[in-house]
This record gives sequence, structure tokens and C-alpha cells, in this order.
Amino acid sequence: MKRLLSGNEAIFQGAARAGASYFAGYPISPTSEILQQAVLNSEENPEFRFLQAEDEIAAAIATISASLAGAKSFTATSGPGFSLMQEALGWGHVVEAPCVFVNSMRVGPSTGMPTQPAQSDLLQIKAGSAGDYYPIAFYPNSVRECFLLTVTAFNAAEESLSPTILLSDAFLSHLYEIVDLEDIAIEVIPRSKEPLGRGQRLFTGTVHDKMGNLKTSDPEIYRGWLWELKDRHHRAAEKYPLFEYLPRKGSETLLISFGITSRIISSLKDRFSVFRPIRIYPVLEKELNEVAGSYRHIIVVEGSDGQYASWVECAISRKVMKVACLGGGFRLKWVQSQIEECLKGTKK
Amino acid sequence: MGSESDRGVFEGDEKVMDRSYKELLKLRRFPHTWCPGCGIGSVLKNVAMAIKELGWNDKNTVAVSGIGCSGRMSGYMNLDAVHTPHGRALTSAETIKTIRPDLNVIVLSGDGDLASIGGNHLLHTSRRNPDITVFCNDNEIYGLTGGQAGPTTPKGAKTITSPRGEPYSPLRLGHLLTQHAPYFYARTTVYHLNHFKACIREALLWKGFSFVDIISDCIELNGRRLGFKTAHQMFKWFDERFHIVEGERDHLREDELGIARAVEGEVAPPAEKVEKKPETPMESLKPFTLEELQRFDGTAGKPIYIAYKGKVYDLSSSPLFQGEKRMRCHIAGKDLTKDINIAPHGEDFVFRFGAVGRLKE
Repeated sequence: MKRLLSGNEAIFQGAARAGASYFAGYPISPTSEILQQAVLNSEENPEFRFLQAEDEIAAAIATISASLAGAKSFTATSGPGFSLMQEALGWGHVVEAPCVFVNSMRVGPSTGMPTQPAQSDLLQIKAGSAGDYYPIAFYPNSVRECFLLTVTAFNAAEESLSPTILLSDAFLSHLYEIVDLEDIAIEVIPRSKEPLGRGQRLFTGTVHDKMGNLKTSDPEIYRGWLWELKDRHHRAAEKYPLFEYLPRKGSETLLISFGITSRIISSLKDRFSVFRPIRIYPVLEKELNEVAGSYRHIIVVEGSDGQYASWVECAISRKVMKVACLGGGFRLKWVQSQIEECLKGTKK
Repeated sequence: MGSESDRGVFEGDEKVMDRSYKELLKLRRFPHTWCPGCGIGSVLKNVAMAIKELGWNDKNTVAVSGIGCSGRMSGYMNLDAVHTPHGRALTSAETIKTIRPDLNVIVLSGDGDLASIGGNHLLHTSRRNPDITVFCNDNEIYGLTGGQAGPTTPKGAKTITSPRGEPYSPLRLGHLLTQHAPYFYARTTVYHLNHFKACIREALLWKGFSFVDIISDCIELNGRRLGFKTAHQMFKWFDERFHIVEGERDHLREDELGIARAVEGEVAPPAEKVEKKPETPMESLKPFTLEELQRFDGTAGKPIYIAYKGKVYDLSSSPLFQGEKRMRCHIAGKDLTKDINIAPHGEDFVFRFGAVGRLKE
């Protein structure tokens, strides 16, 4: 059945399709609707539980604890709440709790501009918590993709045994489009982790050996643990090398953009080639290198001051140009003029 | 774990101690991390004994703890255990109970973890009243980090972060946790062993959120600075500071050891008294038309009349109708039946004033 759905609703429906039975959250724009969906759903379906937590710290901890207890769980928040969740995100990687964190980005730092979209939490997904960890993050650009990638995020979480991140933004969360969810077929990976109450395991955020003994002064153990984590995440991420590449014959310029920005500039595909990464992290190094080689100019159009551009530069070892849509100012005309400016600069 | 042969004497007639509780401890990880003389070993042992006595095991029980010396307790239990980030044990335990109501969930943690960094979670988890049991090793200090003042450090106590004496009053967990019924709050010490055991057992059996505040000693990083030479001297100090109270209690005073519990819901606050003027029969009231009523709008010393459900009331004495002859959207000299029906207050406000007439049809 075709329905008019918002991005937030599609994310919730995606989680339901993936078999999620627990949601914990704290009201925040622009993801409050997901919490409301959880409440509505729990009334119809007693198997589904939710917690309106006292803060995002509790929401994130509850999400990971629910995962350890045996439920597929998820939480949704925005930039300021995501900052509070970083502690739990790191913990989730060490205790190997598969779950999904939805972060619908808005203009920051701090409270910023609560109703305006941004794409400036990219570094936060990778480096917000202490220490080294390798999260997997996806970023849809349509309501249909919100649904699909939520299921994908749950699948990747089960494969990497860690929290994965689904990015969105204030526009996409509140974007209404017609989708037919029943028509979408997608594989769902079942839970693999043994729930609590099955033995004598210790789920701890402290570094430990395979037996669950705390090992807090042995670099060998730590290295072994970290390489295993990295390898597991790498293998899980490799299954989802998601991107969209629209080459334009004769174009010397490649535009890289993702999420809502890629929708804004979609009409420019008649003039420039466009590359849209869907898996935001780990960065699509191989794919970017393959594509970037045939272009003289690369311009990253994004809603932050060059966060993704810096990753692209690292990945392809080459300088790129940036168009930063800041403060919620996503206007095609403005972006177009900025692109012209960039290209004018290169002609000298 | 202390010398068990001595403990046997305290346990009355049972000369041979039941040691089966050791099945619940990860003895392969011993010796444990705690200092000699610490009270945590006693907490761990007695909780394990109580769990064993109730027949709980690794198939139906989960231990959750936070960070700190006492946060290490769950790691020594032969159960599925969750060692959360600092302060988050309660949220984690509540969620596990939500997802798996068939599991018994216990929380083993300390005062700094539960009351300071996890203070917000303590407020809200206790309010939501999940069926979990919390054992708080309350040693009134941050021991693991070297002896900093904590949320329960008594006023005036010298610690490494309060060398002139702690300037602030401690958090009174007993007051905090006995605000809304149902609640279960027990205070005991590691010294009053039989009382301690009884509190643990009662708490485990309580349906709902139960909290055992176990006054414990940290001799190495708190006691010595306070002038105690041995853990035993600290125990004697607990004996001086506290006394056991028997029987059912609603609340505990700060020097009392016992169990405060209540099942009943909150007592409703006393209802506000509304003075009602005696009813006057409709027929004996003076009839008004709407035009006549309009003249009594409070201007030029005239009284303020309004109509409500066919009756005319004199609101001249209302402090809200002084000055501009109107109160927000209510205008004097009008029929306010519709206004009051959609107003945020009830009709009681009108009935306080005497009826002086009725509206003509």
C-alpha cells in the first residue's frame, strides 16, 4: 500500500521490519517523532517496549543494555544528544552490543539552530568517544532509503557486533514522500548474540581477555582485542559498499555530496558528474579512488565546514575544493554560484 | 574475604558454615582487587549467600555494577554480569528487567557511582520502580581514585579534596528514596552482620525497586586519614554512630539502621477548601435582562456583575476584576457561561461569590 511517510516514520518502520523490540529516547528536535512512534507502536504491540529516559545518557545506556538482554534495540537523537551518547557508544563497542543509533543532524555546536539541518556530526560518529573504534554509518537521502538503510544498519550491527549509526538531518527527518513499504523486500539478519542469563560472562567496558578477566596493564591483550574489533568491522562494512555514481559525459568536475545536499544539487547532474556516498564511515576509499582519477576538479558539497572533504582528501591523497552549506542555508542557487567560484579559481 | 572461622562464631548455633555460596563466586579470579580490611568483600559474600539461599543461580540472575572499587563486585560473581560505564548501572539494570522480566536483576555498586555521577538515574529509576535490588556499598569516599570527598562524605570530614573538612552536607539517600511510595530503603552496616543479612534478604524479596544502603569501611583511603588505625576501629565507630531500630518503619532517622518501606500510593495533598455561598432559589432572585446586566460593568462605582448558567453573580469583591473591569478575557457585565466553560479554571471560582439575580429568558 502506498503511503505518505516522513523520514522519521520510515526510520521507525525500518526498525520494526528489522525486528527491533526496544526503543529508548529523550525528546529532541528533529527526532521526537520516532519516540512518539515508539509509544504508539507499544500500545498496539505489547512485545515492543520503550523508555522515555531522563536524558540521552540513560537512553543510550538503555539501548545497549537492551541489546545485551536479547532485544534488537535502537535510539534516536540529534547532535547535542548524540554528544551525551558518546560514552555509551564507546561502551557498546567494547561489550559488543549490536544496536542502532539514529542521529538526525542539526546546526551545532551546542543547541545551535534546533530546527535547521546540518551535516556536521560526521567527526562525532568516528571520534566522539574515547579511544579507537570503527563505527559503521549510513546516510540516506530519501524516505525510501531511510527505511532501507535502517534495516541495513541493523544488519550491519549484527555483523559487526557493535552499535551502528544511521545519519539523517532535520530536512530528511521531516521530509514526506510516498513509499510502498510492503513492496520493499530486504533481507533481515537475525540476532546472533546469546542473551543474558545463559552463563557466567562478564560484559565490561574495561579491556578484558576472552575469558572475561580484566586485563588493564597488558598491551598485547589490548592490541589483540583492537585488531580483532577492527577486522570484524572491516569485514562487516565491506558487505555494504553503498554509493551512487552519476557520471556526466565530458564533465571535468566531480561533485561529491550526500544526504539532503545530494537532493538539493540533483538538478546539477546534467552539468557535472555526481558521486554520493551512502556508507559514510568507513570512508569508501576504493570507490572514491576509482572515480576520482578521471576528474580534474573535485568539489565536496556538504553541510559542514569540510568534515567529509577532509576524509576524501585523506582517502584519495589529493586536495579537493569545498562548498559548505552552513547554518541551514541549503539553496541551489547559492550552491551553484559557489561551485562557479571554485571553478573560476582553478582557471588561472 | 576475612577469616571465616571467626565469623562462624557470630552465626549462632550453626557451627559448620554452609560454604555452597562459593559456587556463585569466580574463585579463579581471586585474590581480589580490594585492600585488606575493606568492607566490599563482606558485601559480596553476604549477597552471594543470600542469593544462594533463595536458590537463585546463573540461569535466572544477572548482576550489574558501575565503576569504582565496588563496581568490581559483579565481575567476581559467577553470573552473567554487566559492568557499565560510571554511574549507569541503574539504567542498565532497569532495561534488562524490562526486556527479561524472568531474570532477577541485582545492582552492586558504590555511593559515588549511584548517588553522584549516577544521581539523575537514581532519581528517575527509583521513580519508575522497576523490580530490581540495589546494594550500595556506602563507604563515604571515592576509594579507587585515592580518597576524594564523595556525595555521602559527612560534613567536616577531611579527605584529599577537602583538607579543611568537607564544607557541604552529605546527600541523604534515605530522604531521597522515601519520597514516593512504594519504596524500600534499608540502611545497615557491614558490622551489624545479622541485621545486614536480614536487610539483604528482605530487599531481594521485595517486589519493586529496593535499595540497601550498606555503610561500609574504606580503611586505607578514608579511615586512616580520619585517625582510625584498623578496620575494626571503624566498625566500632559505626556501632557508636548507628543503632538498630526494629519493626515496620516509614522513614529512618540519620542514626538509625533498619528498613523503611511503604506499599501504599502517594497520599493525596489535602483538598483546597472552597467556600460556597448558600444556594438561593431561582425564583426569589431578581430578574435581569442582558441589557440591564451590561450596565453593571464596574464603571463609576457600580458593582461588577456577570452571568453564569442563568444566574447573575456579584464579582465586585474579586481582586482579579479590579482596575480595568476585566480579568484577561472575561468582561464585566456579560454572560460568561461560554467563557468559563473553556477557561483553564473551573466554575468554583464563580460559586465563591453570591448570586444576586437571574437572567431573563
